[in-house]
Amino acid sequence: MISTTKMLTTGVLAAVLAAPAYPAPASDGGADTYAVRAARMLLADGREVEDAVLLVEGGKIRAAGRGVDVPAGVPVLEHDGVLTAGMIACHGYSGTRGETGDDTRSVLAEARIANALDLGHSDFANALAAGITTLVITPAPDNLAPGSTAVVKTAGGTILSSAAHLSLSFTDDALRANRYPTSYGGALAELDARLADPSGAFAEAVAGRLPVLFEVSSRDETQRAAEFATRHGLGGALHGARRAGEVLSAVQQSGLGVIVGPFDPGTPGRQLDSVVALGGARVPLAFGLDAPQEDGDALRLSAAMCVRDGLDPALAWQGLTSGGADIAGVGRRVGRLEAGLDADFVLWSGPPLDLTSSVVEVYVDGARVFGGVR
Amino acid sequence: MSTAMRSALAAGLVLACSAGLFAQEEQRDWKIFGEKVYTATGDVIENGTVAVAGGKIRGVTGGTRGGDGKNSLRAAAVTPGMVDLSVRVGAGTDSVEQSREVAPDMRTAESVDVFDVDWDVQARSGVTTALVCAPDFDVIGGLGVVVKTAGPSGVRARTVKADAVLRGAIGSQPSFRNHPAFGRPDDFFSRRPTTRMGVEWELRKAFYDAAAARGSDERAFPGSDELRSVLEGTRPLMLQTWTTQDIRTAIFFKEEMESEGLGHPRLILDAAAEAWKEPDLLARSGAAVVLPPYPLDGRTSDNSFMTLDSAKLVHDLGLPLALSAHGSGDPAARLDRQAGFAMRGGLSFEAALQAVTIAPARMVGVDDRVGSIEAGKDADLVLWSGTPFETSSRVIGVVIDGRLVLDPRPTE
Repeated sequence: MISTTKMLTTGVLAAVLAAPAYPAPASDGGADTYAVRAARMLLADGREVEDAVLLVEGGKIRAAGRGVDVPAGVPVLEHDGVLTAGMIACHGYSGTRGETGDDTRSVLAEARIANALDLGHSDFANALAAGITTLVITPAPDNLAPGSTAVVKTAGGTILSSAAHLSLSFTDDALRANRYPTSYGGALAELDARLADPSGAFAEAVAGRLPVLFEVSSRDETQRAAEFATRHGLGGALHGARRAGEVLSAVQQSGLGVIVGPFDPGTPGRQLDSVVALGGARVPLAFGLDAPQEDGDALRLSAAMCVRDGLDPALAWQGLTSGGADIAGVGRRVGRLEAGLDADFVLWSGPPLDLTSSVVEVYVDGARVFGGVR
Repeated sequence: MSTAMRSALAAGLVLACSAGLFAQEEQRDWKIFGEKVYTATGDVIENGTVAVAGGKIRGVTGGTRGGDGKNSLRAAAVTPGMVDLSVRVGAGTDSVEQSREVAPDMRTAESVDVFDVDWDVQARSGVTTALVCAPDFDVIGGLGVVVKTAGPSGVRARTVKADAVLRGAIGSQPSFRNHPAFGRPDDFFSRRPTTRMGVEWELRKAFYDAAAARGSDERAFPGSDELRSVLEGTRPLMLQTWTTQDIRTAIFFKEEMESEGLGHPRLILDAAAEAWKEPDLLARSGAAVVLPPYPLDGRTSDNSFMTLDSAKLVHDLGLPLALSAHGSGDPAARLDRQAGFAMRGGLSFEAALQAVTIAPARMVGVDDRVGSIEAGKDADLVLWSGTPFETSSRVIGVVIDGRLVLDPRPTE
């Protein structure tokens, strides 16, 4: 067993040494300034623009929309499909190699998963191929305060934020029979005490500078976390709240967003109904992936299933892009096709929420990182 | 379909769904007729109609015929909703703080899961109010919460009284996980207590420490205020005491606090299966007694033995008596069956009815809201197919805060 592991490790190491550390931009001599003319462009608010142009300069978006002037001499790529911003998955474990927390203590708020990531993990390439250009990497909810989340790009090794949220777990996963706290009451008492006299990440959260990612599971945990956020005036989002729509008033009162999914065809209908209810109440939504357990394509599938269940497609698309970026705190960098933002975009064969559409090409920071002829 | 249309439809759907839910909840005005209305605190009213409005009881009128309108319900008998002080629903091992043996500041109100499906079983079997405490893995486990078994989906909206009792346990349960540390402790179960003697020592020590911390910030510790509230008599101390030696421990503790001048704890002895064994001691203590479900072979937890006439004996001593299902999921252990068993052991019907309604309500100080059919109280009512507690009778209807939880009307 040991020798097999060693061999595997050696093999992986060799592969890592041979290949670039992360999916690298295509070295096909792409121009610094170029334009993409697409038959259709899907904007973050769900509006569709026909015959639209995206003008890219130095890895940033210079202009996007219909009637954008393309300066003379700038190369124009034609795309007979749909152009969108890159998608964002707001929850996942990619690149952590399973090391998503330190179980020796229940409060480790200053730990940063961003500093322990393998950005060359194949998961990032997998996400990229699914049209996901940004991922929120989260510590596992096995500790009361397992650390802070990271926001990374799936290509180029860019860390957009190394402390995007303070993660707080209200799930029973954080309650262990051999470690304080063992109870919901003990967990609340501990967190109340940390926030009453806050320091470090807790102080940042209280001051409103660091949003909180509330990990929950059942309805009572969802309600408890939402009420806690309201009581302490904390902003951020809930994750894992499978039936948040059934405790809507507490969620609405908290002002928290909700990261939903991943869903698959086996997901009970009431979980999808919950998302529809959240959307109807205009609760900010985003989608999570829990990769590497879930394939990158599960993100789009999750959103499509919510739409099939009655979620406004515009809200679903926002959740996959701008809404997700806002919840991740990087809405002024990625998630929208707007001048000044990073040129992270996807060329689709058709509408992205139509599951028969496929990803044709993906660009990050203006460079093609998936698809096309290399 | 356009995006705007879809979102309008989705919003409409949500509104329609919630309207549907609320439509059922909105109906909170009833005329509930019973051939006999058992009020629990007053007379039995023949052919009575209980008027319910806005979730409250407005009054009872005798000699009526009962209507058949939309707001009318009828049954052979109507009683107050039952009150169980020993329900183990919605508070599992995740609600007990095991990192300390004495955790008086832990609030079950922060842990209880009102979405647990077992609440529905309780509500539909006629238990409308319940005291929830964390499982008894600690010597002092924290503060219990009194909730309604059905109603709005939030613990605060369901709460009748938070922090109603301080809950503790004597006997083998609080110590069974612990072990002595040989060498270096390897987990937090390497600790006291490991025996009944250790348990009773921890119990007394906690209260002595709390008394010593009175007026001293330096000696205060988490939960010292809650412990002192027991000494001051403002909050009952509910102790799980299955066996006679555990009952003795509890009573000796109370008498020691009194003789030392530290206070006057009000005791509720829960799961007191062997309350029958030393009647003089029990009578002397004045403790309230909650009996566990009657075991068909007499044997209960902790090697204790319970007799069929336990309820009658406690009642005859003049002590407050409550019956409980003690969290049992066994249909034969349900609260209405317990009243029947107690009557088989000699308890009168009236005393049995009180032992599942007003008596437990008084023990935890919620008798201003629940426990009897009186004008102004919460409209928590149980409708029966025949004489309550008879083996051949069953609960056919339940109303909680005026909301119909179990509809007695035949389905069409």
